[in-house]
Amino acid sequence: MKTTNYKNMYYPPGGILMWILIFLELFTFGIAIIVLVASSKENLEAFKTSATHLNTTYGAINTLFLLTSGFFMATSLHFFKRNNLKKAKLYLNLTILGGILFLFLKSVEYHEKIALGYVLGYDTFFNFYWLLTAFHVIHVLVGLVILTSLKKSIKKGKTLLEDFEASAAFWHMCDLIWLLLFPVLYLLF
Amino acid sequence: MKNKYTITYLVLLVLTSTTAVFSNIFSGLKAISILILILSALKFLLVAFNFMELKKAHLFWKVLLLIYLSVFVGVISVIF
Repeated sequence: MKTTNYKNMYYPPGGILMWILIFLELFTFGIAIIVLVASSKENLEAFKTSATHLNTTYGAINTLFLLTSGFFMATSLHFFKRNNLKKAKLYLNLTILGGILFLFLKSVEYHEKIALGYVLGYDTFFNFYWLLTAFHVIHVLVGLVILTSLKKSIKKGKTLLEDFEASAAFWHMCDLIWLLLFPVLYLLF
Repeated sequence: MKNKYTITYLVLLVLTSTTAVFSNIFSGLKAISILILILSALKFLLVAFNFMELKKAHLFWKVLLLIYLSVFVGVISVIF
């Protein structure tokens, strides 16, 4: 299979456009998280109390789901590069499963929060919680659509390595964003 | 190569468990909060460099990501 010279500045793994997008997303989430922490200085005790209403176990399990899914994604790409499409598809399916499990647990968590009244507008902490996690969930949903489309194109035998790498990079970006969100929302306060 | 991913994954699991244990046992200490952030940053780098294969990329992308992460962790550590 044709490989790219990643050492060229204009061809990072996944493509330059994907990496521009990744950095834009990281900056957006990064600034929002910094504003969240800065806002906590106004009423730290209220933030601490609100943070105790979050289920750390759910957050940790969701971290495991995304990390495992990321591992499967990297493995799938590894097999695709070696033209082992059967294993590439298998690991891609496992990647998608990891994403679905993440969304399922997130839905359970959202359901519990809504039932207890910790909705958008409850307080500043929960405003950040809902906006940041929901924005991340949208990324995971888009990632799942991309991976499903990739799976279909593999079946048709029309997948380019560049497309596979770009899809993988987008999926890993969901990991990266969660790795910034999880400690600040669930553990820091 | 596949072995590299497995090792990275196992290290990520260990770091996630360590972070969870630290936050449960020593919650409320600023030093522990900063340690949790640093461990999370380490996980971030492992995913970016090994799973996303950024370590094969041009130096520009690696430095950009390191600067981003350092500023992120640094600013939060200072204002928290």
